[in-house]
Amino acid sequence: MALPLPPGLTPAEVAFFCEMELVTIIPRQRLDALELLGGTLAPMLPPHKANVPLWLALLLKRQRRANIAPPPWLSPHALTAILDHETENEDTFSPPPRLPPAPSANALAFSPPFLPENTLDAGMDALPYHWMELGEMLLEAAADDFEDPESVRKLLRGLREVRLAKMRRGTEMLDAAGGVRMNGVGGMEIAEGRAFITGVIDNLRKLSATVEEKRMERGDRDTRSPGTADYDYEDDEMETQFTS
Amino acid sequence: MMDIDDLLQEVSAHAVPQETRDLQELTRCWVAERAAPELLEWPEELMGRVLERIRRQIDIIEEATGSMDASTNFKLIIIQTELERFKFLVRSFLRARLKKIDAHPHHILSLLPAQPSLLSGTEHAYLTNHQALLANHYHASFLSQFPVPLQKLDDTTGGVSMVERPDENAAVFVRALREVEEVFVEGTERRFRMARGDVWVVRWRAVKGLVRAGMVEVI
Repeated sequence: MALPLPPGLTPAEVAFFCEMELVTIIPRQRLDALELLGGTLAPMLPPHKANVPLWLALLLKRQRRANIAPPPWLSPHALTAILDHETENEDTFSPPPRLPPAPSANALAFSPPFLPENTLDAGMDALPYHWMELGEMLLEAAADDFEDPESVRKLLRGLREVRLAKMRRGTEMLDAAGGVRMNGVGGMEIAEGRAFITGVIDNLRKLSATVEEKRMERGDRDTRSPGTADYDYEDDEMETQFTS
Repeated sequence: MMDIDDLLQEVSAHAVPQETRDLQELTRCWVAERAAPELLEWPEELMGRVLERIRRQIDIIEEATGSMDASTNFKLIIIQTELERFKFLVRSFLRARLKKIDAHPHHILSLLPAQPSLLSGTEHAYLTNHQALLANHYHASFLSQFPVPLQKLDDTTGGVSMVERPDENAAVFVRALREVEEVFVEGTERRFRMARGDVWVVRWRAVKGLVRAGMVEVI
């Protein structure tokens, strides 16, 4: 029964996670309000637009009950600008979408896929967290809702290549201290790179483990009172092992 | 004193229905449990609400099936699709926890006195019963042949512990949900600030307290 999977989400699970993103649809039929587990679904009245989770949008689209309005960033114009930015800045990913105002102290903080990063009124100057998987899914299921699906597809492929190259170059920066900032990285990109990146960091850490332990011991000694017998004892033992 | 933005935001945060907030929390718990090296606290209240809603939704579906009306049928398809998604989430979450419980049973048993809410009631029953069965079995098949001092399964004498522990220093991907003044990576000189929205790859040990406090989330 236990899950036989390595740490982190699999690509299929990232896609499942991405299907919770809100997208804008133009319904072609009426649908009454529905009490769903994730909250009430507002009634749909054509031709009024509605924001629904991607899984539902895809379901309605496949049954020809709705059209999907692609988010503004998923247009040739916006993607070209983002691709330019990605090519000009060799070391960093393009910045993620602007955040909503900070939540107050005890309010729940929302994060993707529960931020409206892919609805019709989302920004067009940044790639959202689930850019790659969302773009793929929309192009697959709703290509006819795009004005120019071919250029969008081409631009997404271009973005993927530029960013993949950055990921590869970025591995040189990974060090044992294991504090690497990766702003703007996408959900699917994490799923692809996780095993490699965490593997490199974990192994480098194990290589420098002795140095770190020494440093921690020293830190401990500074804070503790002198004469911490157990530590000194271990040190002595180590020395005799090495000299004998 | 609160300014008008805070007030507006308070209002809008409460405008998000409890169901949607629970879905955000449940998926966050799921991703964290899948990616973190250690077993995380059992979200008792959240899971109580979610499981109760799932139970009610199943009742609704059972009552409504059999109707021949096409529009009701389509509504049922939507409700059922969503229900299956929730069931997948809950199942994957529970199985990820079960994997960790199976991997480090003695370690988790040793944590329980200090952290009684680490496991759910059924997980606790599973862990103790399973370990009792295993201990009986080992004893009957070979342990009883050993000298008494060598029969323990959680021996820690001699400087080497038999109890396997998760690797608390494993690297994880995290995203800051609020401003974090300072993260300190123990054993190194590394100290850094996390701005809201920042994504970092960092050792689990350095951020686990922040994850528990809801300052950062595992991604």
